[in-house]
Amino acid sequence: MKWDYSEGLTDFDNPSSGLFIICEGNFQYSNATLSFYNPENNSINNEIFFRTNGMKLGDVAQSMVIFDNKGWIVVNNSHVVFAIDIDTYKEKGRIENLTSPRYIHFVSENKGYVTQIWDNRIYIVDPKSYSITGSIEVPGMSPSSGSTEQMVQIGQYVYCNCWSYQNRIIKIDTETDQIVDEIFVGIQPNSLVVDKYQRLWTITDGGYDGSPYGYEAPALYCLSSEDLSIQNVFKFKLGDSPSEIQINGDKDKIYWINDDIWSMDVDAFALPAFPVIPHNDTKYYGLTIDPLNNEIYVADAIDHSQAGMIYRYTPDGVMIDNFYVGVTPGAFCWKY
Amino acid sequence: MKGIKPHLKHVVAFFFIIGLSISGLAESPVTHLQEFTVISRRPIKEIGIEKTYFDSLALKENIALSMADILAYNSSVYVKNYGRATLSTVAFRGTSPSHTQVTWNGMRINSPMLGMTDFSSIPAYFIDQAALFHGTSSINETGGGLGGLVKLATIPDAPPGFHLQYVQGIGSFKTFDEFLRFSFKNKHIVTSTRFVYSSSPNDYPYINHDKKENIYDDQHNIIGQYYPKERNRSGAFKDLQFLQEFYYTTRRGDRLGLNIWLIDSNRELPMLTTDYGDERDFENRQRENTLRAIASWNHSRDSWSLILKGGYVFTWMAYDYKKEITEGIWSDLTRSRSHVNTIYGNAEFNYNIQNKWLFTTNVTAHQQFVKSSDKNVILQQGDKAIIGYDKARLELSLAGSVKWQPVYNLGFGLVLREEIYGDKATPLIPALFTDWLALNSAWRDKPYSLSFKASISKNYRYPGLNDLYFLPGGNPNLKSEHGLTYDAGLSFHIDISKNIFFNVSGNWFDSRIKDWIIWLPTTKGFFSPRNVKTVHAYGVETNAEAGIDFGKNWLLGLNGSFSWTPSINRSEKMSPADQSVGKQLPYVPEYSSSITARLSWNSWTFLYKWCYYSQRFTMSSNDFTFTGHLPEYFMSNISIEKNLYFKPVDIQLKLAVNNLFNEDYLSVLSRPMPGINFEFFIGFTPKFLNGRKK
Repeated sequence: MKWDYSEGLTDFDNPSSGLFIICEGNFQYSNATLSFYNPENNSINNEIFFRTNGMKLGDVAQSMVIFDNKGWIVVNNSHVVFAIDIDTYKEKGRIENLTSPRYIHFVSENKGYVTQIWDNRIYIVDPKSYSITGSIEVPGMSPSSGSTEQMVQIGQYVYCNCWSYQNRIIKIDTETDQIVDEIFVGIQPNSLVVDKYQRLWTITDGGYDGSPYGYEAPALYCLSSEDLSIQNVFKFKLGDSPSEIQINGDKDKIYWINDDIWSMDVDAFALPAFPVIPHNDTKYYGLTIDPLNNEIYVADAIDHSQAGMIYRYTPDGVMIDNFYVGVTPGAFCWKY
Repeated sequence: MKGIKPHLKHVVAFFFIIGLSISGLAESPVTHLQEFTVISRRPIKEIGIEKTYFDSLALKENIALSMADILAYNSSVYVKNYGRATLSTVAFRGTSPSHTQVTWNGMRINSPMLGMTDFSSIPAYFIDQAALFHGTSSINETGGGLGGLVKLATIPDAPPGFHLQYVQGIGSFKTFDEFLRFSFKNKHIVTSTRFVYSSSPNDYPYINHDKKENIYDDQHNIIGQYYPKERNRSGAFKDLQFLQEFYYTTRRGDRLGLNIWLIDSNRELPMLTTDYGDERDFENRQRENTLRAIASWNHSRDSWSLILKGGYVFTWMAYDYKKEITEGIWSDLTRSRSHVNTIYGNAEFNYNIQNKWLFTTNVTAHQQFVKSSDKNVILQQGDKAIIGYDKARLELSLAGSVKWQPVYNLGFGLVLREEIYGDKATPLIPALFTDWLALNSAWRDKPYSLSFKASISKNYRYPGLNDLYFLPGGNPNLKSEHGLTYDAGLSFHIDISKNIFFNVSGNWFDSRIKDWIIWLPTTKGFFSPRNVKTVHAYGVETNAEAGIDFGKNWLLGLNGSFSWTPSINRSEKMSPADQSVGKQLPYVPEYSSSITARLSWNSWTFLYKWCYYSQRFTMSSNDFTFTGHLPEYFMSNISIEKNLYFKPVDIQLKLAVNNLFNEDYLSVLSRPMPGINFEFFIGFTPKFLNGRKK
């Protein structure tokens, strides 16, 4: 068999701002990839991890954040978090042997949290030594039914939504690494953001028909970050599948996918009647908002087995650009 | 092995001589030489059928092979192999594995949940006859084979008297294979008992091109990287299989049969090449206990026959993927259990009028009881619940056929089949066949024949139980997949001399499959099946074979196949950006080929096998990205065998070398395959049970 690998690695040195696109690939196929898009000149570079490092990113790349000038890419079914140089894309280190990592969030130079699915612990990691240093056990979950997802931080507290067969938002004291509070919301809150009033917004998917955990109309929740009380609930129709709640740079407008792309002011009293970007036989799977100019980026996974398409829109929903990336683009990470 | 023309006595003799392998109940080749006298007329039951037949030579060439290995090297089907002793699926003509129906002694053994069959768990040692029914031809035997049918069978035969054979195989990667067969045959009774036990840590080495090992300095900076030489992690297996057969033939010629097949399999599932987990902390294991039993009654008279069968299948399957999170405490990432109980019944009546008309009616029933359970979850109220389904479904297949041979060289066939599943039924499945022996003559005393055949059918495959009911994601609104298929083929045979024969055949097919079921991710984080695809699969399957008798007991047998199988997505675009329309389906090679050469001299046999798959795309858009395609590969295996004949015992010695040129290759992304590996076999066939007849 003729191997294509490692023939002519590319030396990138790209200090420009832009957008990393994390493409999950297919479960068990190890075809996750990383792309970088420069909105200044509309250029896209695909498979940059492979082209730089001569190896695969892994199986199911889930998310990425930038911390300490490194991009931290969580690769779920490879049980690893890679750290790369955000300009050269070269690997700087890796945290291995995680159970089933989903997201990483750093609370200090020496400490980060890694959430997981099918494990009731949030790992504590040291980004300096790329090692696991401890864990936070989440009460009310068995190891096999564990699920912790996205994290946001307000002051010394990290908030995290618990998604798969869960219905909670938990609050972690980063000084003690203890869970200090929680609030029950609807079934399966799948994403989490913070608005300009330091309120939390989460969106539930409502489970599925036949689930022993329950099946209900999904909802958008607004929560107080201080006492985790519910400030507002906006119900969707039963059978809807809202996901991927995002917020703009001013933190005054939220966005989500529910077949179409929807947006709503954080001060609104009702769900919008019309989407900002209607779907057009598209299969929207990922969403992000440019924090500087509020442009909207939407990922179309198409059939999940070919290069997905990213659509770039103005804040008003007018298309500016589109470009192909890797298989199943699902997450984004802004480099500013 | 396609299209052997058995009307040549010495052709059959060739193969009996060449094929006395270690796995057969081998004795002196001279004493077992048999000759068949077969008239050139094709069996009326097989009019127009495109069939690849595997004789005992192919099936027994290496006792340790699975049916997946046999099919890969001897046919044009595509075997998708996830690793050594790991899931191996078979697909015809660019269709999916669930479009391949598989029967064992007439009973369908496809998983009623997944629809497909794992051929790596079927030892060739347990199969005496195998045949592929391509496309339309499968409708003669069963419905739902949009790609085709793999028909596996044991035969109610054994050498006369008592026979015992034991074979031990010792191979690379601490592989140990044990084979034992005991048989007895007299005028009325045939009984056979077979055991297979295979085990190996299966930790073959390979260069991992998918990851790099880092070299760090004291400050944890990366100062170097290299591709590690790793071993296949978590790939061990222990498989025990048992097959008991009993046949009784009455004085009037009725035959009663009982077949019982037991499987106890315990296999680890290898880690991906991109897995950075510590194998000591993870367990990924599949266990299976299966019982298959069939009782049969064959009642044949001059012009009619009646066959009744009843059977039962029980399968318990466990799949565990877990991690030890603290000492002794494991977290289940996946904990899947399935119990399948299948009750099988079949009745077939054949009525033959002067070998010109054959009427057949066939009723087959499979009553499925499936209980599938997955993870335990803690409910909102704090109780625990298991996610899964518990369903029963009756699957009925009713068929009637008429075969007509108005003259000896021309035949026609019509099959009508109806498939009923649960409270639904597919539309009527029709199939038309014809064949014509256009030439059957001799040129300068060289007999030759040229025949033509063609068929057309509309076939339906109803969804599997997982497609309909799996939680989460099962879609009870799925429709049956359906395909319209045309076949046309030519075959030519010539005896170039008394000692040389040559066969060549070619077949064109064209199939359009609609409502193809694909599992797609949902925004809720799970997959769900939908009828989304239309596929145009077409191409050519060719086969050639030759046999040469050089004299002085030197014999050469050659067989080769080549297939060109475009399988093109003709669906509507799923999204405006969809680039998959008009492209080859993922994991379907456009070209594939295999060659077998078998040279024998007295009690020595040398075998060379070669197979080739062209590149396979892993993306529906056929992109040439780093992970978007798998390069082509060639594979070569050889074996050399010697039979020794002593008074009390015959001894068979064999050395097999797999992946002769140590090819570094993949069949599936991130699933490494072993490099060159060896296995040595020694077999004993004592004669004391048979009164030392030799």
